[in-house]
Amino acid sequence: MTHITRREFVCAATTTLGGLALSLELPAQENARPLAAAARPPRIPSAFLQIGADDSITIITPAVEMGQGGHTSLPMIIMEELGGSWKQVVVSDAPAAAIYNNPMFGLQATVGSFSVRGWYTELRRIGAAARIMLTQAAAHSWKVSATDCTVDDSLIIHAPSGRKCSFGSIARLAANMPVPQDPPLKTVAQYKVIGHPQPRTDIPDKVDGAARFGIDLILPDMLYAAVKTCPTFGGKLKSFDDSACRGMPGYQSTVPIEDGVIVVARSYWQARKALERVKVDYDLGKLAGLDSAKVSQQLHAGFAEPGIVARNDGDVESGLARAAKRLEATYEVPYLAHACMEPMNCTAQVTNEGCEVWCGTQNPQAAQTGAAKTLGIAPERVRVHVQYLGGGFGRRGEADFVTQAVSAAKTTNGKPVKLIWSREEDIQHDFYRPAAAIRFRGGLNADGKLSALECKVVSASAPSFGRPGGPPFFTEAVADANYDIPNFRVTGLNKDLGVRFGFWRSVNHSHNPFMIEGFIDELARGAGQDPYQFRRAMLQHDTEGARRQLAVLDFLAEKANWKQREPGHGYGISAFAAFGSYIGTIVEVSMQGNVVKVHRVIQAIDCGIAVHPDNIIAQMEGGMAFGLTAVLRGKITLQNGAVVQTNFNDYPALALLEMPRVESYIIPSTAAPGGVGEPGTGPIAPALANAIYAASGMRLRSLPLSEHQLSYKAVRI
Amino acid sequence: MVVLNINGSEHRIDVEADTPLLWALRDELQLTGTKFGCGQGLCGACTVLLNGKPVRSCVVPVSAVAAQPIVTIEGLSQDKSHPVQRAWVAESVPQCGYCQSGMILSTVALLNSKPNPTDAEIDMAVTNICRCGTYNRVRKAIHRAAQLQSGEDAAAKPTTV
Repeated sequence: MTHITRREFVCAATTTLGGLALSLELPAQENARPLAAAARPPRIPSAFLQIGADDSITIITPAVEMGQGGHTSLPMIIMEELGGSWKQVVVSDAPAAAIYNNPMFGLQATVGSFSVRGWYTELRRIGAAARIMLTQAAAHSWKVSATDCTVDDSLIIHAPSGRKCSFGSIARLAANMPVPQDPPLKTVAQYKVIGHPQPRTDIPDKVDGAARFGIDLILPDMLYAAVKTCPTFGGKLKSFDDSACRGMPGYQSTVPIEDGVIVVARSYWQARKALERVKVDYDLGKLAGLDSAKVSQQLHAGFAEPGIVARNDGDVESGLARAAKRLEATYEVPYLAHACMEPMNCTAQVTNEGCEVWCGTQNPQAAQTGAAKTLGIAPERVRVHVQYLGGGFGRRGEADFVTQAVSAAKTTNGKPVKLIWSREEDIQHDFYRPAAAIRFRGGLNADGKLSALECKVVSASAPSFGRPGGPPFFTEAVADANYDIPNFRVTGLNKDLGVRFGFWRSVNHSHNPFMIEGFIDELARGAGQDPYQFRRAMLQHDTEGARRQLAVLDFLAEKANWKQREPGHGYGISAFAAFGSYIGTIVEVSMQGNVVKVHRVIQAIDCGIAVHPDNIIAQMEGGMAFGLTAVLRGKITLQNGAVVQTNFNDYPALALLEMPRVESYIIPSTAAPGGVGEPGTGPIAPALANAIYAASGMRLRSLPLSEHQLSYKAVRI
Repeated sequence: MVVLNINGSEHRIDVEADTPLLWALRDELQLTGTKFGCGQGLCGACTVLLNGKPVRSCVVPVSAVAAQPIVTIEGLSQDKSHPVQRAWVAESVPQCGYCQSGMILSTVALLNSKPNPTDAEIDMAVTNICRCGTYNRVRKAIHRAAQLQSGEDAAAKPTTV
């Protein structure tokens, strides 16, 4: 874990002048104590919360803002307990430091839909601790009992004497109060901020160009850089010739890096033009022969290998042998790129003191260590200034663009360098959603019940992390299915092909639900049953997962009027657990020749306590659109070890014209908060594929739709 | 030397003639509200208004626009008060926000030619890409902006005595 430095902490702690910080020094044990321990003092409030003499409340968010609403929902959680005035809130990004590590998974990363669910308890404790310290300070100065004081709208009030003071006026004194060890927290029924509408703090500056994304940073004497790297995965730079760049306007230098070259110039356009003139020779590496057909062959070859057992209930072989009816099917999905709207970029400045880095990143400590390694210095000497992210979706958890910018900046004698990728570089050098396939075998008994299900999951490169001995990460959404299946076996095999892979919005839930929920639909049809009722019957057992997933299904079926479906239209249903939430979708389509007409999409989520409902709706719609893009035409193709696609012409995103009618619902719940940024991406693929089957009898076992000679149209009323 | 007429004032800048308007705005004039998304006129993040019409500034060289009036997101209003901006805030449209300058300017151009657009007209006119998937809120905000704008137009008409 990175140790917070005094310099960095003070920087974080003094974003407002004159006020207080509830404590400026971190106790030495702060970095040592287990972050997720149950009974423990709250983290140092002033690392998260600064109250200025002017009554401003600066909230330092451990979650970055990439459109998912972290700069609003996390402040809401603190403010619920603090009792401050929302009008006074100013939001600031945390620097890289261990105190900002997410309590749920121990990293300072805005990933995995972990922000609200990871910080929900800790930020309330911090807000409550700060409120108590402010109250005690006021009571102390008035020589009254703190228990007679109340807090409302940034005021501390002593009703018996009629005295009042503002947070700002007492903040300095409050800093000297002890941090309460176990502050009592409000009940859900007492909430006034959580679950109530609050305007997103980042939106006003996003309607007039004022919002500063990483790419917008401007520093005095700044230079610009453009980069190109070897098109094939694992390729290296052999040699380059930049003689044609000499004398070009603004051209400064060419900086070789391991897998390519960076050109530095006075303006970005000059850097781009000069980069085109650099002749580069690559060692293409051993993946130069890889193409998409070989990836697919490798996935299928994986079915013959044993894999790691991820789940093994009952005896699947004898279950299948005894089945009255057996079905088999293979599903497959391609690699996908993130294509964040803001191309990867980073500004870096390297001086004798160390290094400063400005970028939109989902993982400030990865940016810090990436920069430090590039320079061979200690991470403490790297300061990371997090900017707004023009999309993240998992791509900005990586630090490749940071190390490139630092590589350039270490050659420019202390002048800052802003390095910006072309869109082509972005599409061709992503960390891709892995291609994957599942072979299913299912057995139905004489009553039409699913008695045995075997799932062989093969992923073409996947992260290997997870609990030692536990199910492979990439079997998620299959091995943890909530359905009651007496004989259920899941294996996972990681076919590491050397293709760069990463986390793509919804991760395994972006594709595994398409496959298993598609096959469940096939089994329902095979049993001659209604796909909704078939699922219902497998969710009658008494577990939290079954109960909540069933409630989502029932909710959707009612909203879609499932019992009286529109004649001639096809309805597809899918629901599952994802990121601590339960989510499902019904899609209604009709077919006109080869055109799939989507009439409406109905989505529902049970995400536990809904902290910021309007934002949850926005995330569900956005997640669905991200998933729909992949369903319709998302495909990264490999040829000669390189990505074929280059830009939005051949890797097109969903257009406004194609956005279907969507109804999104939050199912009321008092369970602990679940994730909301990612769950919405997964359900559209199985729901749409199942709807197409219902309307046409055509079963989609691979994506995208465009490869099945189908086109698409969103129907408006 | 090129003279650009941006948001009502003239700027003389020293760039090569083939420099796209996008990079002149961003790097020379520090108007970073106009965004780089694709460099090929495909995504619309760089949309600005040229003579009131939306153009994709990443594929328009400065030499092609000389002295013609250009409006960027920064020039829409001083205080986020343009009806389209107000509608955008009211509908909580932006997520990451990166594409929104272009979305807003495409909408401004649409409403200038069609003050009360149909959904089909919106579909045809607003071709900007948003990876966050804000499209349904964009559509709602366009309709809301149309209402706001028509209300203002009505209010601005001199009352006859």
